[in-house]
Amino acid sequence: MSCSIWEKPGSLAEKFWKDGKADIPIYDMHGHMGEHYAIYFNRCEAPEMAAHLRRIGVRRLVFSHHHALWGNLRNAEVIEIARQFPDLFRVYVAINPHYPEFIREDLAQFDRWAPFAVGLKILAGYHLVKVTDKRYEYALAFADERGLPVLNHTWGNSVHCGGPVMLEVAQKYPNAKFLMGHSIFGDWEYSRRVVKETPGNTYLELTAIPGENGRIEQLVEAVGSDRILYGTDMPWFDEYQGVGGVLSAKITEDDMRNILYRNAQKILKETD
Amino acid sequence: MKEIMFFDANCRIGRYFNGGPCAENVAALLTEMDYYGVDKALVRFHNLAMSGVNAANRAIAGFMAEDSGKRLTGVWCILPSQCDEIPEPEDFFRGMKSNRIGAITLLPFDHRYVPCRLTLGKMMDAAAERRIPVLLNGFAGKWPELYRFLEEFPRNVFIYQESGGKWGSDRNIRPLLENYENFYFETAGYWVPEGIRDLAEKYGAERILYGSGFPQYNQGNGMLQLKQSGLPTASVELIAGKNLERILKGAQL
Repeated sequence: MSCSIWEKPGSLAEKFWKDGKADIPIYDMHGHMGEHYAIYFNRCEAPEMAAHLRRIGVRRLVFSHHHALWGNLRNAEVIEIARQFPDLFRVYVAINPHYPEFIREDLAQFDRWAPFAVGLKILAGYHLVKVTDKRYEYALAFADERGLPVLNHTWGNSVHCGGPVMLEVAQKYPNAKFLMGHSIFGDWEYSRRVVKETPGNTYLELTAIPGENGRIEQLVEAVGSDRILYGTDMPWFDEYQGVGGVLSAKITEDDMRNILYRNAQKILKETD
Repeated sequence: MKEIMFFDANCRIGRYFNGGPCAENVAALLTEMDYYGVDKALVRFHNLAMSGVNAANRAIAGFMAEDSGKRLTGVWCILPSQCDEIPEPEDFFRGMKSNRIGAITLLPFDHRYVPCRLTLGKMMDAAAERRIPVLLNGFAGKWPELYRFLEEFPRNVFIYQESGGKWGSDRNIRPLLENYENFYFETAGYWVPEGIRDLAEKYGAERILYGSGFPQYNQGNGMLQLKQSGLPTASVELIAGKNLERILKGAQL
C-alpha cells in the first residue's frame, strides 16, 4: 500500500492525524448551542462544546442558539453565554420573522454586544418565511448598512431558502455578506450562481458537506476556495469529522487553509 | 506511520445505474483505499437495488476474483426462499465460501417483500446458526421496520449501517445496542461530536465498526473522526478493523 494522506510528512493531514491539531486557527462559521427536539446531544452546552472545540484547535465558533431561533431565548442571554468564553465564541443574532418586536429590540443593542455579536442568522426554511419576505427587510437593511455577515440556512429547491431567492436577496443587499449555510445543498448549479452572479458578497458554507465524496472538490472548482467557509452545525457534527472531510478532499493545502480559516478571518476582520 | 489497520465495513463497488461517484472496478477501489490508508473493505454491489440479487451476487463474485491481494471481502444479497430465486442455505453458504463472500445483506423495500420470519426465516435461522453477519443497510432510517425485524431474529449477528443519516440517531440506536448483544453499529454518517467515544464507553468498543459509506462519502473523514475520538488506542484499533475481522472469522461458512 502506498503512502496515505495521513502519512505525508509535514502535511496538515499528518499533523491532525498525529497530534489532533495543527498550527492553524480553525474558524467554524456555522454553530448552534443548546438541546434539540429531534436529536440527542451529549455536548450541546457551552462548557462541553468548548472542550471539544479546543481539542482540535478551533479559534472561533460563530453560533446562533437553538432556543433563540425557536423564540424561547433572547439574544441578550446568548451574548452572556458567549461572554463566558471570550476567546472562543461569537454570536449570530437570531432573526425570527415571527417575532418582529424582538428583531428591533435586539438590533438596537447590537453595538453594545461587541465584540461578541458579529452578524445575523436567518433560518427561513424552518420559519417558513421566504428570505425575500418584507419581514426580514429591517434586519437585512441593518446588515447591509454595516457590511455584516448574515448566515442563512439554505437548501436546494426550498421555496424559502433555495437558490433563486438567495440569489435575489444577495443581489438586493450588496454590502451585506451572505453566507450560504449548507451551500444550497443539492442545487449545485445555484451554489455556483449565487457566487458568480453577486458582487463579491456571497460565500458558500460547508456544513453537512465535508465527507460527501467529491463535493468540496466540485465547489472549489465551481467558485474557488476563496469563497468557501468551514462549518459544522456544532453541536450537530464532530469537528474531527468536519476537518477530516476537508483534509480528505482532493484539493490543495492552500485551498484547505482558505476554507478552514483565511476566508473567515477576512470576514471577521481578524488575523493570525 | 498510520499504524492502525482500517477495515471498511460499509463500502460499495461498481457503477450505479444513474451515475454519481463510484469505484467501477477493483483497481479503482484499491486506489481510493490506498489514498486514505484503508487496508481492507467489506464490499456490496453498488447497483444492487436495481440489478437484482443474482446479477449483483455474480458481479461481486467477479470482483472478488479480480482482487488478487485479497483485500476485499464480498457481500451477497438474499431473497425470500419461496420463489426459489437463490439456492438453499447450505448451497448458498458453500458458494459464499468459495467466492470469498463474508456477509449477507437484504433490500426488502427495494426488492418488494416483507422482511419477516415468513419470508426469510429459513435463511436467517441458518445464518444465525453459522454466525454469518447480516448487514442492515436496507433498513437505514426505517426504525419501526428494523425494530420488528430484530424482534423476529434476535439471535442473528447484525451490522447496522447508518448510511445517509447525518442527524444523530442515538435515541434509536442505543436501545438496540442495549437489547441485542449481537447487534453492531457502523459509523458512516454518524457525525455526533465524540459520539463514537460515548457509544464505546457505554456499550463497549467491540460493538462499534468503522465504515465509510463509500462512494457517497469518502473514506477519510471518518478515519480522522475515529482516530481522534478520545478513545484509547486499543479501542480505536478494535473499531477501525479488528472487530470486523473477528466477526468475519467467527462466521462458519
